Amino acid sequence: MKEQTYKILVVDDEVDLEPLMLQRMRRDIRAGRYSFVFAHNGVEALEKLNEDHTIDMVLSDINMPQMDGLTLLEQIPQVDPNIKSVIISAYGDMKNIRTAMNRGAFDFVTKPLDFTDLRITIERTLAHLTEWRSALASRDQLVSLQRELDVASKMQKSILPTRFPRHDDYGVFAHMEPARNVGGDFYDVINLEHGRIGLCIADVSDKGVPAALFMMSSRTLLKGASIGYDNPGDVLREVNDLLRESNDTEMFVTLLYGIYDPATGDFTYANGGHNEPLLIRPDGSSSLLPRTGGIILGVMGGMEFAHKTINVGPGDTLFLYTDGVSEAMNVEAEEFGMERLAAIFADVPPTDAEETTMSVFKAVHTFAGETPQSDDITCLTLHRSESGS
Amino acid sequence: MMEVTSERRGTAVIINTEGRVDGSNASDFQDALEAAIGADDDSVILNLAQLDYISSAGLRIILLSAKNLRQRDVSFAISSLSPSVHELFIISGFDQIIAIHSSPDTALAALQG
Repeated sequence: MKEQTYKILVVDDEVDLEPLMLQRMRRDIRAGRYSFVFAHNGVEALEKLNEDHTIDMVLSDINMPQMDGLTLLEQIPQVDPNIKSVIISAYGDMKNIRTAMNRGAFDFVTKPLDFTDLRITIERTLAHLTEWRSALASRDQLVSLQRELDVASKMQKSILPTRFPRHDDYGVFAHMEPARNVGGDFYDVINLEHGRIGLCIADVSDKGVPAALFMMSSRTLLKGASIGYDNPGDVLREVNDLLRESNDTEMFVTLLYGIYDPATGDFTYANGGHNEPLLIRPDGSSSLLPRTGGIILGVMGGMEFAHKTINVGPGDTLFLYTDGVSEAMNVEAEEFGMERLAAIFADVPPTDAEETTMSVFKAVHTFAGETPQSDDITCLTLHRSESGS
Repeated sequence: MMEVTSERRGTAVIINTEGRVDGSNASDFQDALEAAIGADDDSVILNLAQLDYISSAGLRIILLSAKNLRQRDVSFAISSLSPSVHELFIISGFDQIIAIHSSPDTALAALQG
């Protein structure tokens, strides 16, 4: 069976983008995965959308003559509320990014365009679109709770990155194992300017489709805020305020966000009510990162979030996790706990992000035995090479 | 795994929650809280002395209750957290959102004093 071809409308006043896009995406076009339609301003884009109802997503620049990308974003839902939009923005342009987030942008890419990054973003958007459509379909029918949870779980999966930075001087790896009926964990790895990298781990307070949608907004808001602000405290303040605006069900997310700078090994982080990560030394000893204070996101607006910086030295490992790890239970109803977690690293001092991540999953599984997993389990590891600069 | 009982003190109600509250019984927890609160109560104290564990799904129910009570002008406080639950309240910043007291009596005095 032929896979579906997704139609993407690209809106940019730079005429060079069209041949460049067709050239860089030629394999996906030839394989029948994507087809592209181009417009050079918002007015032209709306015309295309009105003419052609098979367009799945819009990729739009912000600054354009006649009608800019932000106005276009506002108009798109009137043509089709289910089209997902990705905005091309300048790095650090928080004013426009905030407007785009408020107007329902699904994701952001920054200029100059990195086509590898763009392809990943397009894939994620389309995966989300597929799940979104199936969530809409299930809303229209009488569906079982289990079916709803399946849809929610697929939406959750569609936003999790599966490719991670792997360099000579450092590597990142993350993994999530969903619980059957409860879930809400997510993580993200965001490429920032000057080779820095944003790391996030989060846990949404509920399950089902509403929680999955809350997770989507949290992730999009974090992505936008992380390219708009350089200070993790500012990023969390922004995400918290924007989540609060549209949250009347008292859902919340615990979210830790930090920026790793490979040039110095510095990790600067702020915390929205999440458990503190562990810093593991080359000898396997570990300690929790100092607390920054900061409350869960989405509940109380106007809060400030403090940040702290620690140095990840050569051979050190940073381990971010959700409470699904520490609170996993065995048949005797004992919790896995922090001591068992620390013992994994003491026994085998980490030398690789992926190995370390998976060794924690293995230890938790062995401990839990036949006991059903009651919460999502998520780990994100950053390892700095011993010899790395 | 979870038990909710309540005792009335005039126009106040003290709700005791024991055991574990997590994603699997959060909606039962919500029903039990709603059932325990009378229409004429002006103060609600959630006594968590015997609570072993509460997950984020459980914390959300507390937030929802606090919000509903605020809209009805009913005062609300939490009392008697065990060290592990207190730790959880500090990490999540819950201690900055909802008043916490050392015992139901001090909570009552603060709410009705």
